[in-house]
Amino acid sequence: MAQRVVRPKTNLGPGFWYVTALIVVVSAIMVYFTETSPWPIGLIPAGDPAGSIDDLFRFLGSVAACIFNVVVIYTIYFAIVFRRPKDAPANAIGVQIHDAPVLEFWWTAIPTVLIIILAIYSVKIWHDLQNTQGDVLTVEAIGYQFGFQFRYPKLANPVSGDMHLPVDTPTTIHVTSRDVIHGFWLPEFRMKADMVPGLINTYRITPTHTGTFRIVCSEFCGIAHSQMRARLIVDSQQDFAKWFAAQGGSQAAGGGAAAGAAVALSSGSATTGQQLFGQKCSMCHSVGGFEQKIVGPGLGHIFNDPAHPKLVNNTAPTPQDVAAIIHNGYQGDIGTMPSAQVNGLSNTDIANLVAYLVSLSKK
Amino acid sequence: MATLAPGVQTGPYHAVLDHIHPEPTSFIRKYIFSIDAKVIGIQYMITAGVFFTIAGLLAEVIRTQLLSPNGAIVSEATYNQIYSMHGSAMVWMVVIPLMTGAFGNFVMPMQIGARDVAFPWLNLVAFWIFPVAGVILFSSFLIGAPDAGWTEYPPISLQGPPGTNMWCIAIFLVGVSSTMTGINFLVTIFKMRAPGMTFTRMPLFVWAQFATAPLSFIATTALGAALAALFIERVFGVPFYDPAKGGSPILWQHMFWFYSHPAVYIMIIPGFGIISEVLPTFSRKPIFGYKMIAFSSVAIALLSFAVWAHHMFTSGMVPWLQLPFMIITMLIAIPTGIKIFSWMATLWGGAINWKTPALYATGFLITFTYGGLTGFFLAAVPADYHEHGTYFVVAHFHYVLYGGSIMSLFAGLYYWWPKMTGRMYNERLGQIQFWMTFIGFNCTFTPMHWLGLMGMPRRVATYDPQYTFWNQFASVSSYVMALGFLLLIYLLVDSLVRGKKAGPNPWGARTLEWMISSPAPYYNYKKIPAVLAAPYDFGNPLPYIGLEPAEGAVEATPTASSHPVPTH
Repeated sequence: MAQRVVRPKTNLGPGFWYVTALIVVVSAIMVYFTETSPWPIGLIPAGDPAGSIDDLFRFLGSVAACIFNVVVIYTIYFAIVFRRPKDAPANAIGVQIHDAPVLEFWWTAIPTVLIIILAIYSVKIWHDLQNTQGDVLTVEAIGYQFGFQFRYPKLANPVSGDMHLPVDTPTTIHVTSRDVIHGFWLPEFRMKADMVPGLINTYRITPTHTGTFRIVCSEFCGIAHSQMRARLIVDSQQDFAKWFAAQGGSQAAGGGAAAGAAVALSSGSATTGQQLFGQKCSMCHSVGGFEQKIVGPGLGHIFNDPAHPKLVNNTAPTPQDVAAIIHNGYQGDIGTMPSAQVNGLSNTDIANLVAYLVSLSKK
Repeated sequence: MATLAPGVQTGPYHAVLDHIHPEPTSFIRKYIFSIDAKVIGIQYMITAGVFFTIAGLLAEVIRTQLLSPNGAIVSEATYNQIYSMHGSAMVWMVVIPLMTGAFGNFVMPMQIGARDVAFPWLNLVAFWIFPVAGVILFSSFLIGAPDAGWTEYPPISLQGPPGTNMWCIAIFLVGVSSTMTGINFLVTIFKMRAPGMTFTRMPLFVWAQFATAPLSFIATTALGAALAALFIERVFGVPFYDPAKGGSPILWQHMFWFYSHPAVYIMIIPGFGIISEVLPTFSRKPIFGYKMIAFSSVAIALLSFAVWAHHMFTSGMVPWLQLPFMIITMLIAIPTGIKIFSWMATLWGGAINWKTPALYATGFLITFTYGGLTGFFLAAVPADYHEHGTYFVVAHFHYVLYGGSIMSLFAGLYYWWPKMTGRMYNERLGQIQFWMTFIGFNCTFTPMHWLGLMGMPRRVATYDPQYTFWNQFASVSSYVMALGFLLLIYLLVDSLVRGKKAGPNPWGARTLEWMISSPAPYYNYKKIPAVLAAPYDFGNPLPYIGLEPAEGAVEATPTASSHPVPTH
């Protein structure tokens, strides 16, 4: 090997550029497969927010793959090309450079920009999770050594064993514990919260697929921690109603306008109804005119809106018919309005709500 | 004797200290209760090596158990004790003592041209606390070892076996030892550098110890308080953590991670220092971006105090509080990235001498980068909701703790072994040992990322059958790693028995410790040398004056007339 003068800043031979091209190609292939993979983490999504968290995984995976390729492929290339030649003199040394400010600027600036982008994207997903719709159904999950119990609104006794949820229903899950810290992990929903005694942690999911999914304790909780599992069974709305009735859910099997008619509307209090409306309805309904939609129509004038003489289910806007819709729930174009039993509304609650809506239309 | 160059200050301080105590002659004062930092460093290494062997055996019990979905060999109760002890021992009895006590004591005083640390007696006490703590920790197996993981979250740790009390005492003692060492090192680095060794002429391993020392004694106080409270609650029933009596379990988590996240950097920053010594020496080049590497260690140390709650994203805290912890965690990637790119640039244009330390340093570059990138997945709060408490976390922290810390410790062990013993190891066996460790390691821990993402929680003695294949793959790979470790023990013994004499400077390195004979004499330097420049300029004459030349040191040292190796 001939000795020649080293030109430290310019001796990037063609090999360097071939390797750079290799990095670009390999990274492009990895990004393509990551971004188009339906299940980036090898686990089916069963509902929200799995979709948006999977998006975050795809993004993180793509960025990480590119950085990893840059570091590893260049390192291996340097390791081979700059190995000490066999015939090198004993006191051979490398290129004596100490720094290269321009290069250092870029390898600080580019990661910084990537980090800012990653942080913004993560904050956006985080923000979406904080503001997802829940509250249509609220379930409490209570951990104990070694199992889970679930409390549903309108059920006197907690349910042990499997957790049932109706499909397509935004559900808020409050978790806590009776003894030590457990974890409430729904892998197919990508969500988890620790069940801490004395503390209530909350997250929201919306199952979009019926089926049986896993509930896994994710915090060490004692000798049988490995076996602390349960199943989450996502039912169709009808199956859920049946299961709920079998658990002793009040009036769960009732249905139709007849049940609505059974509600004693005369006793309703508009003031209580207003509070209830704020808790249960205002996420989807405004108190403005019909067109002031959030998810469903505005309800300020349902009893006296000449442009909309019929209700969404094509019945007349009488208090009894409104009560029937609240009782049975309604499948709209955009969202699902859950039934009263899922929503945790008693007959008195319905009466109060109707009284409030009537009072709105009189204004 | 050369005269001091202009600008090099030697005050009366060094004149006074030119008096050298005689070397102790009794075996006990020389090897057992020694106050010589080099001996103490090797004592740390042997003790931690014994603990590493035990904790490694525990790891192999874990992997063997997980060969079968139903658990192959031990009961759940035993399994829980084993993985808890594996984690506790590896963190407190192996990696932290090796990073600070072992390599810090052995290398750092020599590198700054000092004869010992600032407080040799404190150093002796700090060391002897450590094996005592280790014995207390491991003997907790006799009365029921702690079984709630190395994090010992209450309330479950309040129910734990009696050995949990011993765990509290042992870890508290190690904290005391670590605090002593931290203060000792900080004072040593501030006050005892050789004349002319300004902060920007310090070897980067010294910079790393300088950044680590304050972490040791600031963060450890929080752990000490938390441990004391846990002990008091367990023994006397004073409710600090039990919510049923008005305590807060989250309090423990905050206190614990306020220590344990900086502790992560106690376990890796000295490793960065080792890599920064090994790479220039073996690529025969100045370290690329000296100041950026030095300052980024300090930046990482500072940032490490403001990220602890990223361990607690699912524990229950005000949601908005997750965001600053996420963003500061991500920021740590900037100084870390600067280091990684600077090390790559140090390889570029080198005349790389592929000896075992260089292989380990380069292997470290790859595995640590991988571990850093999976750290991003965990820092992003929404992704962490899925990953928290799963095998993904296990995979991540083994990539940074084994792929980062242990790989850099192996690099340092091979690198400084000739200085410790005066003998060379068998290079061929060393390289085989590297490849066994590197391949075994990656095949053990890469599948754990997938297991975690696909739904396998950590700390389980049994698992769902769909995870069987990758668990068995990981277990078998871990046996390769274990065989690699046995080979390491063999080759070290082999070196002691039959190794060639190393001479003072077998690698042609330029930091001060290589300027004296191997093993180093009792007082390191008969005359304290003066330092004229940073140590890594392989093209220049050595920047030291006043050295009494060690036998054979000069010939291994390249001079200004060295031939640059042609590059492509």
